[in-house]
Amino acid sequence: MLSIRNASVVFDAADGSRVNALENVSFDIPPKSIVVALGASGCGKSTLLNAIAGFLPLTSGEILLDGRPVEGPGGDRGVVFQKDTLLPWATVLDNVALGLRYRGVPRAERRDHARELLALVGLQDFATKPPYELSGGMRQRVGIARALATDPKILLMDEPFGALDSLTRETMQQLLVDVWSRTGKQVFFITHSIEEALTLGTEILVMSPRPGRVIARYKADFVRDFAAAGDIGGVLNDPAFGQLRAEIRALIHHPTQTRTAA
Amino acid sequence: MSALSEQEPLSAAALRVSRRWTDGKTGGTALISAATLLAILLLWVATTHWHWTSPLFLPSPSEVATQAVATALDGYANGTLLDHLLASLGRIGLALTIGIVLGVPVGLLMGLNRVARGVLSVPIDIYWGLPPLAYLPLLIIWLGIGESSKILLLSLSAFAPICFAAQAGVRSVPQERINAALSLGADTRQIFFTIILPSALPEILTGLRIAIGATLSTLVAAELIAAQSGLGYMIMSAANFLATDVVFLGLIVIAVIAFGFTVLMRFLERRLVPWKGKL
Repeated sequence: MLSIRNASVVFDAADGSRVNALENVSFDIPPKSIVVALGASGCGKSTLLNAIAGFLPLTSGEILLDGRPVEGPGGDRGVVFQKDTLLPWATVLDNVALGLRYRGVPRAERRDHARELLALVGLQDFATKPPYELSGGMRQRVGIARALATDPKILLMDEPFGALDSLTRETMQQLLVDVWSRTGKQVFFITHSIEEALTLGTEILVMSPRPGRVIARYKADFVRDFAAAGDIGGVLNDPAFGQLRAEIRALIHHPTQTRTAA
Repeated sequence: MSALSEQEPLSAAALRVSRRWTDGKTGGTALISAATLLAILLLWVATTHWHWTSPLFLPSPSEVATQAVATALDGYANGTLLDHLLASLGRIGLALTIGIVLGVPVGLLMGLNRVARGVLSVPIDIYWGLPPLAYLPLLIIWLGIGESSKILLLSLSAFAPICFAAQAGVRSVPQERINAALSLGADTRQIFFTIILPSALPEILTGLRIAIGATLSTLVAAELIAAQSGLGYMIMSAANFLATDVVFLGLIVIAVIAFGFTVLMRFLERRLVPWKGKL
């Protein structure tokens, strides 16, 4: 379980002013959950993810992974980035195996494992291709496989499908839910799409900017219906889904009427 | 629906678009270039055959060819053509080797370390701004008229562009790429060897191209001023006796060397960084 306790991040802006990128945020990411941070740009959701990943120190507060404080980046938290960060000089297979290489796993062994992960994301036929010959959606799938290779406790996903067309995006959401139900990883997912948040999240944190903080939390279980049905259509037509979507939309557009739902 | 969701590999589509913008058609330019070369040769033959100019200004191709054989066999200005060629190539090779061996690590260090960047950029910027021939006399005063002053001059010409390129290569590594490696558990050494060095390689090769050009032009100029061997020396000796055919021979050999380096660099880039500009 990952716990964020009173996390705050303060930046010194270029003009000398201080920016409260994140203010006093606390929440847990329990096992087998998908916690989604939802908000407009500037609401601190990426700052939050970067802090959990260890790329960015907290100004105050703490982040605990299974009770131990997070200090710097590490293979126990796999990150899937918005922009793909695959190495163009390595094949798809070697990109997936990169984390295992850093751990000193022998070449043959890490390639076998990488092949399994490529099969999990449906790209077993592309193992020997360079990443630039793949489409954007395929590259994000490689990114997911790469993040899974070190068998992290948690997957951190920073708007991973934001740059994809909406049809590819649905395929990717399906894939993520598949991977999640098969591996049971905890997932922390960032998005600015209310629909995506509701489709994927077991818990949704609605965030608002200046200062970046959590203004509402919702529990949801549309993702379980999604996983069971194997298709997103049923969930989208669920009246409860529409109702919650409208509620969150109103909350984001009129944040002054702050409320905290359980 | 299926047509819409079909995924096309990105590179193919991107290439088509970029080709449309940069060139009307695909396909090589080898034939066009060969025809141009032939036209220049024919113009040369015609000019000398019908004596449009004095042979003193423009020797005929056959005179140059005859002189090439004579120079290759009997030599000109203390050495055969091969002697001069090897002397020049040896200087370039040694200078480029020194430039790479010192320039790459120093440039990488400057890219990685703020203090190193601040300290080293000052002297490098100062000397790189000077025309090499302006400080050659100083190097001769310090090191004498022999090989060492020339090698130092050429190494300085090679060092700066390679060093700047390696530095720029390090600075251009996307932070996300480093973060990705960190989150996969990479330590500092692994980040350097698996992320930073390969990311900087295309820039380093570009720097090497510039270094070759700078070294070649400095070399010939230095040999014109102070040398007892080399293609520049051969050209200068010939010019003193108005042996225009030998001057032409020297220029052609230098052009062939330059072309050879261009081909070599293209080959290296295709082999080492086929992914350049792709991601």
